[in-house]
Amino acid sequence: MAKELIMTGCRAAAEGAKAAEVEVICSFPIRPYTAIMMELAKMVADGELNAEFIHGEGEHAQLSVVLGAAASGARAYTGSSGVGVTYAMEIYSPMAGGRYPAQMAIADRTLDPPGDFGSEHTDAMCTRDQGWLLGWADSPQEVYDNTLINYRVGEDHRVMLPQMVCQEGYFVSHIPDKVILGDQSQVKKFLPPYRPIGPLSTTKPVSHGPQIRPDQGAPMDAMRAAVFLDVPKVIEEATADFNRIFGRNYDPFVDQYKLADAEIAFFIMGAHANTCRKAVDRLRKQGVKAGMARLRWVRPWPTHQLANALGHVKAIGVVETSTSYGGAMRGGNLIHELRASLYDLDQRPLVTSFMAGLGGETIWPADFDYMAKVLTEMVKEKKTKRYVYWIGM
Amino acid sequence: MQAFNYKFQQLEPLKSFKRVPVPEMYVPGHRTCAGCGPALNYRLVAKAAGKETIFIGPTGCMYVANSSYLCTPYAVSWIHAQITNGGAVASGIEAAFKVAARKGRNTGVFPNIIVMAGDGGSVDIGLQAMSGMMYRNHKVLFICYDNESYANTGIQTSPTTPYGAKTTFTPPGKEIPEGKVLFPKDPPQLVIGGHPAVKYVATTTIAHPLDLMNKVRKALSQPGPTFLHMLATCPKGWLFPEHLTKEMARLAVETGMWTLYEWENGTYKYTNVPKKYKPVNEYMKHQGRFAHLKPEHIAKMQAFVDEKIKNVKQAIAVAAPVPTARQKA
Amino acid sequence: MAKELPGYGTIDVPKEREVPFGAVTEAPVCTQQLFITSNWRIVRPVKDDEKCTRCLICYMSCPDACWIFKEEEDVMEWVSDFCKGCQICINECPSDALTAVPELDFPDGVVRLDKPF
Repeated sequence: MAKELIMTGCRAAAEGAKAAEVEVICSFPIRPYTAIMMELAKMVADGELNAEFIHGEGEHAQLSVVLGAAASGARAYTGSSGVGVTYAMEIYSPMAGGRYPAQMAIADRTLDPPGDFGSEHTDAMCTRDQGWLLGWADSPQEVYDNTLINYRVGEDHRVMLPQMVCQEGYFVSHIPDKVILGDQSQVKKFLPPYRPIGPLSTTKPVSHGPQIRPDQGAPMDAMRAAVFLDVPKVIEEATADFNRIFGRNYDPFVDQYKLADAEIAFFIMGAHANTCRKAVDRLRKQGVKAGMARLRWVRPWPTHQLANALGHVKAIGVVETSTSYGGAMRGGNLIHELRASLYDLDQRPLVTSFMAGLGGETIWPADFDYMAKVLTEMVKEKKTKRYVYWIGM
Repeated sequence: MQAFNYKFQQLEPLKSFKRVPVPEMYVPGHRTCAGCGPALNYRLVAKAAGKETIFIGPTGCMYVANSSYLCTPYAVSWIHAQITNGGAVASGIEAAFKVAARKGRNTGVFPNIIVMAGDGGSVDIGLQAMSGMMYRNHKVLFICYDNESYANTGIQTSPTTPYGAKTTFTPPGKEIPEGKVLFPKDPPQLVIGGHPAVKYVATTTIAHPLDLMNKVRKALSQPGPTFLHMLATCPKGWLFPEHLTKEMARLAVETGMWTLYEWENGTYKYTNVPKKYKPVNEYMKHQGRFAHLKPEHIAKMQAFVDEKIKNVKQAIAVAAPVPTARQKA
Repeated sequence: MAKELPGYGTIDVPKEREVPFGAVTEAPVCTQQLFITSNWRIVRPVKDDEKCTRCLICYMSCPDACWIFKEEEDVMEWVSDFCKGCQICINECPSDALTAVPELDFPDGVVRLDKPF
């Protein structure tokens, strides 16, 4: 029976991993994702989950352990936050290029210096060029759902890529909300067992990763890029199946809220979308035709889907909760790819960005009011005056 | 401590060369230097381990030279690891096989899981992962093939490079006449000193091939983590003619630069202890990496070795080693 | 609304340039034929069968496994394809049964390969 409970995003991630019957888990503590591992440790100790729970000596080791486990045919799971995510950077490309479809749960966190436990997308966003699947949830429910969807997509033989399932540190990881857990028959219907390709074995010996010549490097890169041409289709199939089996209603790539007739829109990722939806409702009551597009997948970036969803909007405000110092807009990093997605439209929306929620700050309704005011002025004057506005500064 | 209760091989010691298993698990056809000490190590290890084996190969000579390009000489399964994480990748593989055995997916014998890491990948950049694996009681054999440098990148100093050795990061010069000023780390002692789960630690050389193979088999027959420190003489890095690869290993033992021993349950067992140690210069004079040293530097090395072998002389050498067909005086 | 947006095109790697999935290759069986190293040597070991005592030291000393003991014929066989001419076996042989002879002395000496690898 599907169970409805109140739980944090951390607990939801652990429940997702348990439902997926992960077999090798590698832990290392760092705020705010640690609770995911604490929950899993208890599940293993109580015999609820038949898995090896390995105490990694650091985040770099965590990723290395799950690489070895996935290469040997086990469904593997790990996670981290903040500088832990960047410490493991060396291993991301070997995992993606080696096609080891393990999953990493990230409760995001501002990067040092100095210590800041607050949420920011920057940590996982730093890894976006390494070849992983990457996306954000906006609620504990979506964390649980994305855990299952990502294993399904990542382990599909047309994909075979590792996945980062991200949630806002604190806002999602620590604030409890309603979560409907699937029952095992639903999970089994949706998520088949992991079938490795050419795993390490003593009966069929294989060599994983011999040195290649420089002229073999380009084909290796090209083949890795080619996979991402096939991923969107797999995501669409998986999301449709998930919706059907679990009774949800996810748009595969872009969560659209009152967007169809919007003149101004917020382009946002993660849990601050919850505040944003309320802001959109309030603006609509005031007669402002506002809407919201929430990005669910950073990789693969849904270029055409975004162009189609946002092409009619007159002014878009990208809500950036990550930093890209020295970047083209001198702000965050969502705006670059959004502008690129819209570039070839006949009528290009005006696009600006708002740095908000950095360091773990709340984005207040008043902040969305301010953003709407800026966007409305842009529409009136028919121009983008600035690439970026730093909320409160 | 959880017992390792999965079925695994007990490998009997080999009594003579004729009893050595014939099939090569590290087959000919690799780009290692002519006379490569690490390659000979690998071949002997692979032969001793047999076909129920999975190798983990952190980056180094035994990765790049063996697998250039897009082909390898391993007749058993092998996976490349980063130079940083041999122990961690091996841990993940071991864990996966455990779960597979519990769930009935793998009904065969538990494989030998062997990390073949260089000195850098064991006690420098790879130290953290090696130590983590030793601590967590994984049934993995971690082998440090020690060619006393980062050889694959063109001979740079590593923490096992001997005092006075010339490398491209420790070139001798007016300011630094010895070249290398620091004395090396002691890998087996690092492992023995602080890892309660470790079952067996030993040192080997290629000049004692049966002893080497038997130590590999003994390690693989343990129900937990084990460590072997293998002297892997390197003609290119140490600058001696390649036909002397085994001779250098022999001289290392005869001069006390290398000590052959086993450690198990807190007890040391020394073998091939020379009745009379040759002076270290008998070893160093063949090697171009020491050619720049003055008598006072050699004396410093001699003092260091004398200190090391003091303990050996006090220990009781136990069983006579399996005799090799030829033993130079 | 939108004119036809650009696509991603296709990525077609020519067959001869393909890298196996995940860079996972088959393990070799007895030899790795993709890496013949016989063209490295300038000398090769020549055996005097009468002096050879079948002690198997050469077999245990070769990093490239170029000495094989043929048990039925009771003779040591040298593997030409992979010998790099390092001379460890010559140095180690206790009965002086091996000597180094220049490659150029042999009609099949100094192997030329069609391509390096």
